[in-house]
Amino acid sequence: MSLRKIFLVFLKIGTFSFGGVYSMIAFLERELVEKRKWITHDEFMESFAIGQMTPGAPIVNTGICIGYKLRQLWGALSATVGQAFTGTVLAILLAAFYLHMKDNPLLQAVMKGVAAAVVGLLGSIIYKMAARMITEYRSALLALGAFMALDLFKVNPIAIILGAGVLGLGLFWRD
Amino acid sequence: MELLKLAGVLFVVNSLTIGGGFAMIPLLQREFVDHYHWLTNKEFIDAIAIGQVTPGPLTVMNAFMGFKIGGLAGALIAMAASYLPCIIIVTIVTKYYLRYKELWVVKASFAGIKPAVVGLLAAVLLFLSRGEVTDPVTKGIAVVSFTVLTFTKLDPSFIIIGAGILGALVFR
Repeated sequence: MSLRKIFLVFLKIGTFSFGGVYSMIAFLERELVEKRKWITHDEFMESFAIGQMTPGAPIVNTGICIGYKLRQLWGALSATVGQAFTGTVLAILLAAFYLHMKDNPLLQAVMKGVAAAVVGLLGSIIYKMAARMITEYRSALLALGAFMALDLFKVNPIAIILGAGVLGLGLFWRD
Repeated sequence: MELLKLAGVLFVVNSLTIGGGFAMIPLLQREFVDHYHWLTNKEFIDAIAIGQVTPGPLTVMNAFMGFKIGGLAGALIAMAASYLPCIIIVTIVTKYYLRYKELWVVKASFAGIKPAVVGLLAAVLLFLSRGEVTDPVTKGIAVVSFTVLTFTKLDPSFIIIGAGILGALVFR
């Protein structure tokens, strides 16, 4: 498997897959398992599991894992750069445009509507995460505690995450 | 110096992004807006929107913010610093997957962190919405956006672009 091919497949995945993590995962499996047969279904599922249980965006990590299985570290790098390439280029172009047009009233009007939509989007993400992750009293308490620590006491979120990890050791070690 | 700080912050934040890409939002908000004042809250929300409408992972919003802080070099450093911890951790885990899978320390600490992330995101949402959702039109957009994205499978890009067009018509 050449690095160029790995880069190009992940470039395609990073460029043409819309609609969130699950549609990207389906796209990834179709490309790599069914069409190209680079990895087996089981290897794919293992990569997906690793993507879920490591820090960072799960879809990116799934790609890093597959790249690594194909061509070690260079494969992992090719997969990452391929997946992020189009989005990064567009983000840079949009940033240049945004900074240039910052005081333009039309752009401000557009971004006012956009910001409200982002608030709704975040609400929806939180709702879906809560439905999946808050399943019993321990997780409910951790969520509430984290909320209060940040909202009322302005504790640094990095400290809250580390604290929640330590509390998790005490609360979930028997599971 | 500023770029070194940017790289350090993104390295730490991405190492602690557990429970999906959005888990980084509360940490980024604190560091980029409250601590270093690299962006205003408004610009931070705009960065999230950019991360959504561009294809690929949400992480590319870090390129947008990096560009604001340090131009092209800032954007590239931001992306490298965001992915470096992922590449290090994932390659190690891939090698020792069978042993890692059984590590109770990882399982239990992640089980504690994931619900906490939900609480952190809720607090950040409350905070961000105070400045942005102020009049009937923005309230309406936020409610429609929440409802559509929660109960349908529509891509968020369409909602964000639609809200931008509506904003241009109403607020200009």
